[in-house]
Amino acid sequence: MTNTIEQLPILNVDRISVYYGQFQAVKEVSLDVRPGEIFGLLGPNGAGKTSTLSAIEGLIKPATGQIKVVGFDIVGQPLYAKANMGVQLQATSFQPELTITDILKLYAGVYGVKLSKEEVFNRLQEIKLEDAAEKKFGQLSGGQQQRVSLLIATIHNPALVLLDEPTTGLDPQSRRQLWERIEAIRAKGHGVLLTTHSMEEAEAVCDRIAIIDHGRIIAIDTPERLISLHREDPEVISVSRKGRITLEDVFIGLTGRAVRS
Amino acid sequence: METRIPAIKDVLRTLLQADFTTVWRNRRSLRMVLLVPILILISWKGAVDKIGPAVVMASAITIGLASIGLLGYSGTIARDRDKGVFQRLRVAPVPTWTIMLSRISIQVGLIALMTLLIFIVGFAVDKISLSALGYVTGLLVTLLAGWLYLGLGQLIVALIKNPETVNSTSRLVYVAFIMIGMLGQFGAFGKAMKDIVQWSPYGVVQKALAGSLQPLSWTSDHTMALLATIGYTVVFVALGIKYFKWDNK
Repeated sequence: MTNTIEQLPILNVDRISVYYGQFQAVKEVSLDVRPGEIFGLLGPNGAGKTSTLSAIEGLIKPATGQIKVVGFDIVGQPLYAKANMGVQLQATSFQPELTITDILKLYAGVYGVKLSKEEVFNRLQEIKLEDAAEKKFGQLSGGQQQRVSLLIATIHNPALVLLDEPTTGLDPQSRRQLWERIEAIRAKGHGVLLTTHSMEEAEAVCDRIAIIDHGRIIAIDTPERLISLHREDPEVISVSRKGRITLEDVFIGLTGRAVRS
Repeated sequence: METRIPAIKDVLRTLLQADFTTVWRNRRSLRMVLLVPILILISWKGAVDKIGPAVVMASAITIGLASIGLLGYSGTIARDRDKGVFQRLRVAPVPTWTIMLSRISIQVGLIALMTLLIFIVGFAVDKISLSALGYVTGLLVTLLAGWLYLGLGQLIVALIKNPETVNSTSRLVYVAFIMIGMLGQFGAFGKAMKDIVQWSPYGVVQKALAGSLQPLSWTSDHTMALLATIGYTVVFVALGIKYFKWDNK
């Protein structure tokens, strides 16, 4: 099956709302991700990040609004939209009995990519895991697991890559290495949407970020402009700790000091 | 730029390969679902002359079906849902029904394997010999009745989210089937319980199977048991699908 796709934007989210029963988790959220852009979605726990991402991934249906991936509506043409996106979920999400080679073959297969033995080896070599081909996913370190997950998310060379908190739990070396891999994806012209709790990560790799709170996007811009725009806000100044305004100060200033469950 | 959607047959082949590997490498579970009915068949060797070869074999197969549906299938579905395996597959460009069809197809294959093993062990150890037609109809009714236990396993996973609670509930139901079903059918717990067991999912499957293994002795009781088996299956599968959630959050 084939279909011709429109080029831009890679992802267009237009005023989506998501409900769980009576509770509105996402309120008229709009954003877009352009080719060659890393877009960060930031928010406190329970702000609506994962719900927004789940709607984009087609796992939950928004009550209102529209989501298009390279022109394909995620509700109307889910298979075409999903074929153009690669996803790295937060959870481990692979069968514990399967080896890394098995997992690679499984996900290549479900994305319609045929991989020979040699190609599987080459792909694993790219992420420096050729020696782990016959290991189970659970036997890998956190950093190695994230490399495998990212490889699988990009196995079909998708236009859009969605990464849900990709560096959570990683040591600084693994995190830096993953940032480089994400930047390499951007360099190839793919669009990347990532969620993160790390302001350092958002500042380091994201071209634009959106801050979401209580289901609404409250700010959207480049990290530099967000800092510049809010450096005079009394709430931002009051939470500043180092004598200079950081993205984290802006984030806490906008979303509040209260710890979310 | 062109968007390519993988063909359904390629997706199914890939999923089947992965699901088969998962079952094959899960040796403890595989041994459990295959050995328990065989051990029952062997231990009931002395009862073949008293209650009849078809009843002995039908009881062993029924326990095997319960093992596969309640110990094997429900456990892996609950575990994989908890780990997010289904969500990971659902974000791929595959219709969701292919994910479940692949899982169920592997279980149906396991049911066929278990049945053939019981036929072989029954012949070799218990000296049970059926007509060729009996083996064929027996296998067909086993495959049909297998859906009842897969449906029951599905229903348990649909109603309970926690994988550990699914496991303990499945085991409880399984033990109840073995203890109450096997002993109750001979009146060990009184007449009332015998009647209940006869029309329970254990009793109707066992009765329909016993009839199918000796098709020339098929009676209206067997027909009723077969209809009840189909009825239970429809209810379990329908409710199991209706209430099933891909995510346990």
